[in-house]
Amino acid sequence: MTTKVEPQRPRPASYRPIVVLAVLSMLVCGLLFPLVVTGIAQGAFPYQANGSQATLNGRSVGSYLIDNNFTLPAFFHGRNESNPATASASGVDPDVPLSYALSQVPRIHNATGLPEATLIAIVTSHVQWTIWIGGDPYVNVLRLNLALIGDYPAAYSGYG
Amino acid sequence: MIDALQAFVVVAVLGAALGSGWALAPYVARVLAGSPTFLDRLLGPLEKRTYRLIGTDPSSGMGWKQYFFAALLLNVAQMAIAFLVLVGQGALPLNPQGFPGMNWELAFNTVVSFASNTNLQHYAGESTLSYFSQMGAIQFLQFTSAATGVCVMAAMVRGFKRGSANMGNFYVDFVRVVSRILLPLCLVAAVVMVALGVPQTLGGYITVKTVEGATQRLLVGPVASLVSIMQIGTNGGGYFGANSAYPFQNPTPITDILQIYLMLLLPTTLVFAFGELVGKKRETLPILIASYGLLAIDLMIAFIPSMAAVGPGIEARFGAFFSTFWTVVTTAVTTGSVNSSLAGNNPLAILSAFMGMVIQATPGGEGVGIMYMIMYIVITVFVVGLMTGRTPEYLGAKINARDVKLVMVAFLIHPVIILVPTVLAYATKAVNAIPGFSSLPTSVGFTQILYEFTSSAANNGSDFLGAAANTPFFNVATAVVIFVGRFAPIMVLLALSGSMIGRRRSESQTLRTDSGSFSLVLTGSIVLLAVLTFLPFLMLGPILTYFQGLVNFLG
Amino acid sequence: MASRVPRLDSVLGRVRLPRRPSALTAKTLSDSVARLSPVALVANPVMFVVELTFFVVAAMAVDPYAFVPAASPAERVFYVQVAAILLVTVWFSTLSDSLAEQQAKNTASSLRRLETEVPVKKVVTEGWERKVVPATSKSLLKGDLVMLDKGDVVPTDGDVLEGIAMVDESLVTGESAPVRKSPGDSLIGGSTVVSDTMTARITANPGESYLDQMVRLVESSKRPKTPNEAAITMVLFGLTGIFTIIILSMLGLSVELGLNTDLSVLIALYVCLLPTTIGALLPAIGLSGITRLYERKVVAKSGRAIETAGDTDVILLDKTGTITVGNRHVVEIIPMGGHTERDVGEAAFLSSWFDDTPEGRSVISVAYERGYVPRELNSLSLSEVYDFSANTRTSGVKIHFGSSFVLPKGSMQRVRRKFFVEDASDRGMHLSGEESEIVKGAPDSFLKVGFSVPEEFPGLVEKISSAGDTPMAVARDHQVIGLIRLRDVLKDGTKEKIDAVKAMGIRPVMITGDQPLTAKSIASEVGIDEFIPQAKPEDKFNIVKKEQAQTRVVSMIGDGTNDAPALAAADVGLAMNSGTEAAKEAANMVDLESNPAKIIDVVLLGKQLLMTRGAVTAFSISNDVAKYFAILPVMFAATLPALHSLNILGLGVHTAVLSALIFNAVIIPLLIPLAMRGVAFRPSDTMTLFLRNVLIYGVGGVIVPFVGIKLIDVLLGAL
Repeated sequence: MTTKVEPQRPRPASYRPIVVLAVLSMLVCGLLFPLVVTGIAQGAFPYQANGSQATLNGRSVGSYLIDNNFTLPAFFHGRNESNPATASASGVDPDVPLSYALSQVPRIHNATGLPEATLIAIVTSHVQWTIWIGGDPYVNVLRLNLALIGDYPAAYSGYG
Repeated sequence: MIDALQAFVVVAVLGAALGSGWALAPYVARVLAGSPTFLDRLLGPLEKRTYRLIGTDPSSGMGWKQYFFAALLLNVAQMAIAFLVLVGQGALPLNPQGFPGMNWELAFNTVVSFASNTNLQHYAGESTLSYFSQMGAIQFLQFTSAATGVCVMAAMVRGFKRGSANMGNFYVDFVRVVSRILLPLCLVAAVVMVALGVPQTLGGYITVKTVEGATQRLLVGPVASLVSIMQIGTNGGGYFGANSAYPFQNPTPITDILQIYLMLLLPTTLVFAFGELVGKKRETLPILIASYGLLAIDLMIAFIPSMAAVGPGIEARFGAFFSTFWTVVTTAVTTGSVNSSLAGNNPLAILSAFMGMVIQATPGGEGVGIMYMIMYIVITVFVVGLMTGRTPEYLGAKINARDVKLVMVAFLIHPVIILVPTVLAYATKAVNAIPGFSSLPTSVGFTQILYEFTSSAANNGSDFLGAAANTPFFNVATAVVIFVGRFAPIMVLLALSGSMIGRRRSESQTLRTDSGSFSLVLTGSIVLLAVLTFLPFLMLGPILTYFQGLVNFLG
Repeated sequence: MASRVPRLDSVLGRVRLPRRPSALTAKTLSDSVARLSPVALVANPVMFVVELTFFVVAAMAVDPYAFVPAASPAERVFYVQVAAILLVTVWFSTLSDSLAEQQAKNTASSLRRLETEVPVKKVVTEGWERKVVPATSKSLLKGDLVMLDKGDVVPTDGDVLEGIAMVDESLVTGESAPVRKSPGDSLIGGSTVVSDTMTARITANPGESYLDQMVRLVESSKRPKTPNEAAITMVLFGLTGIFTIIILSMLGLSVELGLNTDLSVLIALYVCLLPTTIGALLPAIGLSGITRLYERKVVAKSGRAIETAGDTDVILLDKTGTITVGNRHVVEIIPMGGHTERDVGEAAFLSSWFDDTPEGRSVISVAYERGYVPRELNSLSLSEVYDFSANTRTSGVKIHFGSSFVLPKGSMQRVRRKFFVEDASDRGMHLSGEESEIVKGAPDSFLKVGFSVPEEFPGLVEKISSAGDTPMAVARDHQVIGLIRLRDVLKDGTKEKIDAVKAMGIRPVMITGDQPLTAKSIASEVGIDEFIPQAKPEDKFNIVKKEQAQTRVVSMIGDGTNDAPALAAADVGLAMNSGTEAAKEAANMVDLESNPAKIIDVVLLGKQLLMTRGAVTAFSISNDVAKYFAILPVMFAATLPALHSLNILGLGVHTAVLSALIFNAVIIPLLIPLAMRGVAFRPSDTMTLFLRNVLIYGVGGVIVPFVGIKLIDVLLGAL
C-alpha cells in the first residue's frame, strides 16, 4: 500500500490529471473499444454483426430478428400488426407465441388452400428451443413464412 | 408460480454468477490492490506512460476528500465531453443517418443520468443518436461511471482495512479498473454477443424490401459493444429505446440469460473481492448471504403470481418467466435495463423491483452496492453489537457517534429524495402532464410515479414513464434526484471510511461479523430498515395493485 | 469444556444495601410531571416529538374544524383518547427518568453520610503554637488540619497526619469491623472515630469529595452523555428523521390521492414507529448502570469509565486481596541442616517480632502456640531492626546480648512469665555480650547474598512452591537453618468471577510478588493462565502499556503511590479507598470497600450496561414491524378496502390504532424494571450472548407486539 497522503485541498496542478484522464478515457472507452469490437465482429461474425438478414432469391428481405410486418392473409402475422392490446415491448417482436401462430392456421388455410394439418406441422416444427430452458414456446414469423414460400412455391407464386 | 425447470434455470444462472464471481474475485482484488497481474506485460508500459501523461505519482495516496473530489471532478469533466459530443453530433463523423445535435436540456439530462450509472433515458437511441454519440458519449460514460463505482468502493474498503495509510490514488484505481477489468471483460462479452446475433457495425441503417414488398429499415449499429458495458457496468441504458426488449439488443433467450448473468457478474465478483480487499476473506460471508438471500426472497415474491401466456408488453421469446426474472435482477443490481415493458410485469415483480432499488445492495450497483452493504453492516453492528456487552466494533474499529451519524445521514438521503419529489409530483400537478395518467387506477399511477423517483435515486434507470416523463418537472426533478442519489451517499460513506484510517483497531474477541448468525441478523436488519421505511408507499403502489387483482400496470 | 458459568446475579452476589428507601414516592411523581415541560424534554428528541404530536392531537380534539380535511369532526372522542395516550407515553418516559434518578440519589445518599454540617476541631497554627478552634465541616478547605477524637465524625475526605486510631467506616463501606488508620492512610468523610486521637489533613474542598462527585453524576441533567449514549442518540435522531419524512409524505399523498386518512391516525402511526421505547428509557438505563456500581460501593468518576469497563480485554488482578485473602498463614516449620524445629521456630519468632505483616503475625502466633518462644526475647528491645525492603526481600533483627534488658510492655511480660523460666545454656544458645543476626525472607534472596544453605534447601523450596505454598527461609548468622511454609487462603467466589470474565473473552492476568512456582500453582487453582510473578510496582505500568500497544483495553486495580502511573495509563483504573491519594487521583473509579476483587464486578457491570442499552434499542426498533401491520391496513380501510387482506392480526377497524398506541405506551413502564436492573445474562462468549440477545430482544421484539396489540385489541373490543 502507498504511504504518502497529499494535502487535502486541490492544488492547481491537480486539474491536469482530470482533464487528461477525461480525454484519454473517452478515446479509449468511447472510440478505440467499439472500433476493435467492430473489427473483430465484421471479421469473425459478419452475418450476425450486420443484423442476421434473411434472403429470398438472393436479396435481403429483412432480419430474422425484426418483425417483417406481414399483413396478407396468406402469411402468418406478427403480434404488432394486430391490435395494441397484444403489442410487444419492442414493437418489432419477430416472434409469436405458439398458440397465436396456431390460431392463424384457419385463415392461412382459407387463403392458400393448404391443408390445416400441413400448416400445423410446419408451425410445430418451427417452435424454438426456448422451452428447454423454461420459456414459453414461440415461433419466428419470418422463418415460418419463408418456409411456406420455399415449401409451397405454388401457393406463394408471387414471392418464390 | 414457476415450475421446477424454471426454478432450476434461476438457480443455475445465479450459481454461474456466484461461481464466476468467486473465481474472478482474486484477480479483481489484485488489480485494486495494485498487485501484479497477468496483463502486466501488455499493459504495464502503457500504464506507466499514462500516469506520466496524467501527471500523477502512482505511489501517492489520497485522503477521502481528495479521493472524492478527484472522482467527482473527473466525472464532471467526462460529462462535459459527452455533452459536447451529444449536442455537436450533427457536425461529428459516424452519423450516417444525419441526426441533428441533441437539444441541450436533453443532453444535460442524458449525461447526468449516464455519468451517475443511472441511465434513465428520455430519448430513443435509434432515432436520436449517431454512431459517434452512442460510442463517444453513451458507451464512454457507461465505462467511466462503472469504473468510478468500483474505485470509490475500493477506496471505502481501504479505509476500513486495518493498517491502511490512505484511501489510495483515484487516478491509478480508475486506470487499472478500466484497463484490467472492464475492457477485457467487455471485449469477451461483446464478441460472444455478436456471435449470438447482436449486430456490431458502423455501416449505417439498412433499408430492405420486406417479403410483402414494403420498405423496412434495419436499425443496426455498434450495438454489441454498448450492450456489453451496459450490462457488465450495471448501467442499463440501451442502444435502443426499447432496451433489451429490442431483438437486436437481445435476440434470443440465450442472450437473455447471458445478459442476466453479465449484470450479476461484477457486483457478485465485488462481493467476493471485498473479503480479499479488506484482508479477511471471511468478511465476504455476511455480504454474500444478505445480498443473495434478499435477491432470492425478491425472486420468490416476484414468481408468486401465476404467469399468464405472453401478454402485452412482453416479448414472445422471453415470456413471463424471463421477463420477471430480468426485472428482479436488473433492479437488484440497479442496472435498469429491461427486456419487457415494466407495465407488462405482474405487481409482485414490481414490488420485488422496488425492494431491489430501496435496498440497493442485493448485491447492488457496481461498487456502490458494497458501499451500501457496509453502511447496513455498520448500523447493524452498532445496534446488535451492543447486546454483546461491548462497544460495537466492525473490523476491529469501534463504532462511534460520528460514524453512526454519517451512516444515518447516508441512509436518510434515500427516503428524502424519493418521497419528497413523489409528493411534489402530485402536489404540483406535474403528473397531469403525463398523457393518460388521470385515467389510470390510483395504485397504478402512484406506482409509476414512485418508481420513477425510486429508480432515479437508486441510479437504476428503468422506468414506466419513458418519454412520457419528458416534461420540465420530471426532467429537472429526476436529474436532481439522480445526482444527489449518486454522489451524496458516496461522499458521506467515503467520509465514514476516511475516519477509520489510523483508528485504533482491536484484535480482541468481539462480535463475529463473518459468522452465519450475524449474516442472518444483517439480512433481517436490512429488511427492517430499508423495506419498512418504504412499506407504507409500497402498500399504496404495487401491493395495493396486487390486492386489487390487477395482473399488470397497463391500466 | 469449562463448567457452566452461573448467571450474572449469582456471580456478583446479592447486594446488601443500608436502608435504601423506595424510589417511587410522591416526590418522584411530581418530579416526573415537572419533566413534562417541553423545555425539559428538548434533550430527548424522540420524546420531544411525541409531546409535539400530543399538542397537535389535543388541538384537534378542541377544534376539529381547524384541521379539515385532515380531521373529521365526528371523531372527537377518538382524538381525546389518542391525545391522552400520547401524553401518558411521554409521562411514562419522564417517570422512568425520575425513578432512575431518585434511585441513584437514594443509593448515593445511603453511601454518603451526614449531609448536615458537623462541628469539627480545626487545628490552627499560630506562630509556634498550635491551637484547636471549633469550626464547621463546610468551612474546611483542602489542606486544613482537624483533630479527631474518639466519637468524632470525619467531616470530609482526608489523610491521617499524626496518630493512630480505629475508625468505623461501616456507614460508607458496609464493612462492619473498625479499621486501623495510621499516618498516610486516608479517611472517608462520614466515618466515625471509635478509639484514640489523631490529626488529619483535609484533602477535598467542600463539594469535591468522591461522594459529592457521585451525587453530581446521578443528576441526569448534568450528566454528560457517554460515547455509546451519544451514538444511540444519533440512531434515534436518524430514525426520527426517517419517520418524519414518511409521515409527512403520507400526509401529502393522503391529501393528493384523496385517501382521507385521518391526521390523528397518521400521528398515531408516527408515534408508534418512533423508537419511543429506547427514547424513553435511554437516560434511565445509563443512570441505573451507575446506581448498580454504587450499590457495590464503587464510585465512578464518569459514566464513560463504566462503559469502557465493558470493553475490557485484559484485566490485571492483584493476587493478594483478589484471588487470595490478604493473610497468608504458617502451616509448617521445616528445620534443615541438623537444626531442630524449635531452633527454626524461635529464630522465626525473633525475626518476626517487629514485622507487622500478616505473615509476620502468623509466624508469631504459630510459634507461640507451639511453645517456641525464644529466651532472647528480652534482648529484642536492644536489637537493631531490619525492615522489609523490596530490594533484599528480607526482614529481621540483629540482637545484642548481655546488656540489661528492658521488658517490652504488656504482652511481653506475660510471655516472659510463661516461658522465660528455662535455662538456655542446655540449648547452647548465645551468651551475653554476643551478637546474633536473624533474618527471614524469600529463599532466593539468601542465595543472592551468599548465605550458606543446606543441601536439601533448593529441593524443598521447589517442592513447597509447586504445591502453591510460599516458602520463607529463616537464617541465623548468615546460615539458613530452615523453611517456613506459608499458605494462601483463596477468596470465596473468586473462581466463579474469574470463570465469568474468561467466559466473556477477557484475559485475566494475575500480578503477584510471589515467586514463579507459587504464582503458577495459585493461578492454575483459580483457572488463570497468565501471571506475572515477582512483580515490582513498575511492572504494572509496563504491562498496561504493552497490552495497550496490542490495542487491548486494560482494566486494573491499584492502591499505592507506585500504582498511580499504571492507574492513569489503564483504560479503567479502580483505586482502593484505603490507597494513597495519588492512586485515587489517577484512577477513574474508587472502591470504598477497598476490595481488589471489585474490578471484576466493575467489568461485568459495564458489560451489563452496554447490553441493556443494545437490547432495548433492538427491541424498540423491531417493534415497528407489528405496528405497521396493525395500523396501515385499517388506516386506509375506508378508501382502499383491498388492503384489508393485510390485516393479518384481524384487528378491529376502530380499535386497531388505539391498541397499537396503547401497546406503545404501556411497553415503557413494563420495561422500566429491565432498564433499572439491567438485562440478566449468563457470562459467556460473545457469539452466544449475541445469539441469545438477538433472539430475545430482536426476534422477540418482532413477535411480542403482535401478541400484545392483539390482546389489547381484544380487550378494547370487549369494552
